[in-house]
Amino acid sequence: MSLEMAAESSEGEEEAGKLTGGNHLLVVDDELTELGKKAAWSVSSCKPGNSVSSLRDQNLETFWQSDGAQPHLVNIQFQKKVRLQLVVLYVDFKLDESYTPSKISIRAGDGFHNLKEIKSVELVKPSGWIYLSLSGVDPRETFVNTFMLQIAVLSNHLNGRDTHVRQIKVYGPRPNPIPHQPYQFTSREFITYSTIR
Amino acid sequence: MDLLSEAEAALCPVNEPSAEVPNGAAGHHLLGLIYRYTDRRRSAIHHFKQALLVDPLMWAAYEELCILGAAEEATAVFGEAAALCIQKQYLNCSTTPKLHSSTEDCNLVDTRHSASEDVNPRQLKLMQGLKDIPLNHHGASILGGTSGQPINSGPSNISFYNTPSPMVTQLSGVAPPPLCRNVQLNGSNLSTVGAESSPKSTVNSTIQAPRRKFVDEGKLRKISGRLFSDSGPRRSPRLSNDASANPNANATVVSGNGTSNSSKYLGGSKLSSMAFRTMTVRKGQSWANENVDEGIRNDVLDDSRLNVTSTSSSSSTSMEVKSNDQEAVNFQVGGQVISGSKVITGASEILTLLRVFGEGFRLACLYRCQDALDTYLKLPHKHYNTGWVLSLVGRLHFELVDYLEADRAFGLARQIMPYSLEGMDVYSTVLYLLKEDMKLSYLAQELISTDRLAPQSWCAMGNCYSLQKDHETALKNFQRAVQLNPRFAYAHTLCGHEYVALEDYENGIKCYQSALRVDARHYNAWYGLGMIYLRQEKFEFSEHHFRMAFQINPRSSVIMSYLGTALHALKRSEEALVVMEKAILADKKNPLPMYQKANILMSLERLDEALEVLEELKEYAPRECSVYALMGRIYKRRNMHEKAMLHYGISLDLKPSATDAAAIKAAIEKLHVPDEMEDNL
Repeated sequence: MSLEMAAESSEGEEEAGKLTGGNHLLVVDDELTELGKKAAWSVSSCKPGNSVSSLRDQNLETFWQSDGAQPHLVNIQFQKKVRLQLVVLYVDFKLDESYTPSKISIRAGDGFHNLKEIKSVELVKPSGWIYLSLSGVDPRETFVNTFMLQIAVLSNHLNGRDTHVRQIKVYGPRPNPIPHQPYQFTSREFITYSTIR
Repeated sequence: MDLLSEAEAALCPVNEPSAEVPNGAAGHHLLGLIYRYTDRRRSAIHHFKQALLVDPLMWAAYEELCILGAAEEATAVFGEAAALCIQKQYLNCSTTPKLHSSTEDCNLVDTRHSASEDVNPRQLKLMQGLKDIPLNHHGASILGGTSGQPINSGPSNISFYNTPSPMVTQLSGVAPPPLCRNVQLNGSNLSTVGAESSPKSTVNSTIQAPRRKFVDEGKLRKISGRLFSDSGPRRSPRLSNDASANPNANATVVSGNGTSNSSKYLGGSKLSSMAFRTMTVRKGQSWANENVDEGIRNDVLDDSRLNVTSTSSSSSTSMEVKSNDQEAVNFQVGGQVISGSKVITGASEILTLLRVFGEGFRLACLYRCQDALDTYLKLPHKHYNTGWVLSLVGRLHFELVDYLEADRAFGLARQIMPYSLEGMDVYSTVLYLLKEDMKLSYLAQELISTDRLAPQSWCAMGNCYSLQKDHETALKNFQRAVQLNPRFAYAHTLCGHEYVALEDYENGIKCYQSALRVDARHYNAWYGLGMIYLRQEKFEFSEHHFRMAFQINPRSSVIMSYLGTALHALKRSEEALVVMEKAILADKKNPLPMYQKANILMSLERLDEALEVLEELKEYAPRECSVYALMGRIYKRRNMHEKAMLHYGISLDLKPSATDAAAIKAAIEKLHVPDEMEDNL
């Protein structure tokens, strides 16, 4: 899967926390970088053969299937606090029907003991990549600085018990290309002189 | 073939430590290369120096010394003593070709395989009876790396191989008809003698078709153009002497050239023609112009690369392979009718030229770029406008961080020698840094179509992808370049840069270290390592690596400013400031050290000085939002809230990155809150 800047995709409409639609192409800002590789991923339950690795295998054919009581949880734990800005999931109602998640809650915190909900959405027949931005309205809240993120599937479409999620990605800002600088450089003169290649 | 130990044993038998190295200068050069590749620097230097003593016109050896950083001044090496030495050799040389020594050479070539630089088999073809075909090639002139095909400087070891067919393919650039005509036409042909006695080792191998690959890597050595220079001045007398014969020959030569050029475009031939042209141009002799068909110039082939010295240590594996199937020319040495004085004149002319080139190259390797540029500007116009010089000039501008000038110089070089690959990796980096994606992709395509097996082409491709931020593909391309030539240090460094962009620091470190194993003076790799350690907060290591880079290239203000940053991180802020001052002085146009200086001053609580520096910086880089943001921060520290607000506002207007925008807005909100310890990153 390439994450290139592609043409327009069908953005879902959002009404009062509901999201429909979904993009078929993953289009992400250049300033963001995927942080999932630095984290430890775990799930609350899974069916053998459809384990957590299917969430990270860059393959939309494979999916994670839960196997237990709701809510189904995907836990993403980092070794140090990271700034996260965006969570993207790939789910497809047409393929998964009653396994498609409906209510999703995203929680953050230092560990299992102090997770707090930071975002809650309801999906309506989604089909494709769903973008869940973690930013608040306040510009100071563009990022969530946390050790752990938990994505909870509270309910599914058609009241299904278990859920299918095909892929999850988490994004945060790119680090400053020049280490130990308080701010990033934007002007040409600075950038020209800032590295040796 | 990388059988370095066998090669070494062949040249320098373990049991006889005092035995003389076979093949004189070329042998020394070869041995020097072997030592260099096995990291025995001092022995390598010793042997290159020996090579130069035996044969003062061996540019290849001088170049290696420069790359190792141990060259003496060019005036010393290419001085009076050298001239006398050459004369002696010239007069002493006998005319018996030694065929058996040539077979020896062949063997050496085999063993030396990839270890050596290109081997340009000497091709002196004096075709008997081929008077009309200007196939001469400067044999001596163009030297490729002396590889196992050493043509010795020793008077008695001149091996010439006969090339049966190549004539056809050789289109020599005409250039020195004198050479060409020489033997056959006149019994008393100086050039013949000149040709054979020139101690230069290899020669341009323009001949074979397979040469194409050869061409790739050219390390062209300059010739001991004696051949040419000797021929030059004598040309007129000869012409007048052989009035009847020569003009005809000449004319045919030229016309021959013309037709052959058009009809036979073979890589090799072009090469030779190019080489010739370059040679002649280099020598700046007037006759060059008369002979060379200007039209040929554009067909130049990569062999001209052969004329160019690679700035990084690139040995051409491909060269070696090709060298094995060369056909050498057999030389018929004519009578020696040379007068000593002519030799001296010729020798001193060449030496003058070599002095300039040598000095410039030495300065370039020491990264005294401005001095090197001045040296090259002294060259006559004709010499300056050759591919080799121009691409070296381009590289010098690149080191001076003057990318626009570098772009211009490389552009000119490409116009003059469109098929040269030498230095094109640096050109692609220049375009990458200038963010010229169209030009860069065009360059990459052209290079790949010129030669798919050259590391430079893949480096250019990789840079192209890297500019598009597709670091994984860029990495693949750079790895291909490494595969093609593991002794090409820059390819390793570029791999390292890509790993860092992908945040894979382990592999990045490995790549940089391999680059350093190939060429310990490759300061980019030292810098890369320093940056990784800086990121990983291993400040001691980082400072050490930046210092090594600084020692190699003491004029780079970028390295100095990073050294200062590392020192500051180690809490040695006073030293850091000193280094920053030096960096500021070293390059007025670099805004970075000033910014860093302000940063350091701020953390030392010398806020007013910091503000002064930043005010000055505003003049240099008026649209840099980090300058205003930092000023805002300082004003806040001094509790000058209105000014702080003003500056934060301006910095927001200048469109900082998202992270910074968030940080700045947060700072604005907290403006009236007392200053807590902020997270500095």
